Amino acid sequence: MSNTSVAFILNAHLPFVRHPEYPRFLEEDWLFESISESYLPLLRMFNKLKAERISFKFTISLSPTLCCMLSDPILQERFLQYLERHIELGHKEVQRCNESQPEFLEMAQFYLGQAKQNLSDYQDLYRNNILDAFKALETSGHLELATTAATHAYLPLYKEYPTAINAQVELGVQSFLTTFGHLPKGFWLPECGYYPGLEENLKYHGINWFQTASQSMLLSQDKVQYGDYRPVRCPNSVAAFPRDFQGTSLVWSNSSGYPTDRVYREFYRDIGYDLPMEYIKPYIHEPEVRVFTGYKYWAITGQTDQKIPYRRELAQAKVREHARNFLYNLTRKGSDLAPSMENQPLFTLGFDAELFGHWWFEGIDWLEQVIRLVAEPGQTVALTSPSAFLSKEGSTLQTARPAFSSWGQGGYSAVWLDGANAWTYRHIHKAIERMEELSLRFSDQISLKQRFLNQAAREVLLSMASDWPFILFNKSSTEYAEKRLKDHLKNFNVVYGNMCKNAVNTEWLVKAEKRNSIFSDIDYNIFNPNR
Amino acid sequence: MILINIDSLSTTELQYIAQQERLSNWQSLDREELIDALEEAFGEQDDELPSAMKGKINRNRYCNALTDFRGNKQHINGLPGVEDLPESYLDTSIHLLLRDPQWAFSYWSLSPASNLMIFGEDGQEKSNLFLRVQETNLSTKGVRTFDISISLEDTQWNINLPNIGSSYVVDLCWRDKKGNEMSLAQSKSVETFPSYWQEHVDELAMDGDLFTMHFSSLVTREGEIVDNAVLREIAQTLSKGVL
Repeated sequence: MSNTSVAFILNAHLPFVRHPEYPRFLEEDWLFESISESYLPLLRMFNKLKAERISFKFTISLSPTLCCMLSDPILQERFLQYLERHIELGHKEVQRCNESQPEFLEMAQFYLGQAKQNLSDYQDLYRNNILDAFKALETSGHLELATTAATHAYLPLYKEYPTAINAQVELGVQSFLTTFGHLPKGFWLPECGYYPGLEENLKYHGINWFQTASQSMLLSQDKVQYGDYRPVRCPNSVAAFPRDFQGTSLVWSNSSGYPTDRVYREFYRDIGYDLPMEYIKPYIHEPEVRVFTGYKYWAITGQTDQKIPYRRELAQAKVREHARNFLYNLTRKGSDLAPSMENQPLFTLGFDAELFGHWWFEGIDWLEQVIRLVAEPGQTVALTSPSAFLSKEGSTLQTARPAFSSWGQGGYSAVWLDGANAWTYRHIHKAIERMEELSLRFSDQISLKQRFLNQAAREVLLSMASDWPFILFNKSSTEYAEKRLKDHLKNFNVVYGNMCKNAVNTEWLVKAEKRNSIFSDIDYNIFNPNR
Repeated sequence: MILINIDSLSTTELQYIAQQERLSNWQSLDREELIDALEEAFGEQDDELPSAMKGKINRNRYCNALTDFRGNKQHINGLPGVEDLPESYLDTSIHLLLRDPQWAFSYWSLSPASNLMIFGEDGQEKSNLFLRVQETNLSTKGVRTFDISISLEDTQWNINLPNIGSSYVVDLCWRDKKGNEMSLAQSKSVETFPSYWQEHVDELAMDGDLFTMHFSSLVTREGEIVDNAVLREIAQTLSKGVL
């Protein structure tokens, strides 16, 4: 009998990046790395456990932009090419390591094997579309799938624009319905960004639950009883699941989380930088820009360049130790809390899905170990999902209002509204206002003008993605983020300028539809405030 | 641009980045010199990193290289008919965005007609622009205002919000040479709500179970608390200033 429940919620999201105008495009690798290092291994792990009839329950939010890219034929084809390059490099690496660096041979073989397995799974098992695999796991009761905002907009900074908030939520729900064939019950708030009142729009679209940042309960206007250890119901009955910062930090913390252990694989040492240009050139960015290849042979070791070679068996032993430690911590915490609670505590742990496998190489092995340990007889921790929890204990929840919050630095909106990105809102807000104006002035257009206006709506939504201000704040791929953000806004202005002259720029339209081909069935009237 | 985990990078990696950054003598530098040179080259950018991110293993989203250098080849071409974004728009408006309960960000624009009205045809009229922040206490409904002087060149401002539990709106105002004042535009309101537990810290202080219930999820095993000013304030009150 369990006395503690844990809800893992993984947020699988990437911004819409698709550049068919180039034979290869650096930022498209964000998707390919995530599929090959996180999503496919995650599905393999889930399916293996399912085949072994080991019970588990996880929640995954798949963002509409990610779903769109995962089902895009051009990107699917490019992913196959990516895997083929990866396999080709793997063969070369096995040969090279065999001849000159035998200490890395085991890992070279491992990477090659994983790439081959990925290709086989992707092509033969999933027919190039892994979304069906997530749906199958949902159907079998192992996953709860959730949606998020259409382009993963950080919603608190659009509070002034209810039509934009509604468009983000409605398209998030619609996209989920189109992809998975039913309406979602859960909504991942991008960046855990919440402001009081947001739940009204979520409820309008049939959402039962969302997650919030840890501090949203202690900072509530109401006397929340159980802190982050039970969800609350907002006054409109939508449930808010606060993230348990302590439990999450066992994994997430940059300074002390499990992934920082010295025996785990070092992410930043990669043969893309270490090997001679003539050898590595076909596998990096053209013309000769060194980037990560995924072939990494060193252990974290410490804050030093004197890294020791990665040893998989040591890392796997550590994975088991960390899984036990994780459950020990939760069990002890559950026992400590039990006397003060009427019902058992729930630990809600929210992560970016790409942490597992991509950033934390051993992360998926760790999740598997956690699931296996939870399934052992006598274990007092149970895995659940928000909907499963609500169906069982929904009637026992306190009614309270979460506080304005996010999971970013400072706990509010500082990451998405600082010196590096505040300038963007003047333009995005204006585009929203003008989109509303166009929807009012030119409602229910047909044919070319309808397509023109639909594309304008796509461009506004794409400019709202939380990823662009995050990258500008974080200074990681700023040139690309700024270019993308500006391009979407400039594209919108083409429509606005032309529509004000009662004209359509068809050359632009055809090219824009090809380039930013997301939300194929969008209706621009979604921005009509009188709708 | 940032450089990540410099101490963990191999000498080859450092040399490559130095070459990329066009450090003139990168081939003759040893490892320590390379690190010094790169830290200097990247120093300005890295100084802007939050302290919590320095010296730790960073997991930046959307990072497939050690720096954000991507060569000079792939620049997305604009589509036909696109024009640069304007610096501002031809209307008079003001907006207020809540950054956190203590600060809001405001931006505004002035239409040519407003400009003409305020500063005259020759732009020489001795008029003043200012922001008038109106604070309404959500409990007592008491209202107070304060003004912030701005110049014609200003287009945005970070505004301190003195009291939690208040609603704020900001007016973009004009004062003519005779002292007459006029609001040109008003923002929508932003609200900050008080936290029950911030106002009842004594309850947390007197009840260990209650304290554990509310704080144990917010602190790592190493004692690192969620990064939040209000939480830190509550924690400091509870520890009587020890923290």
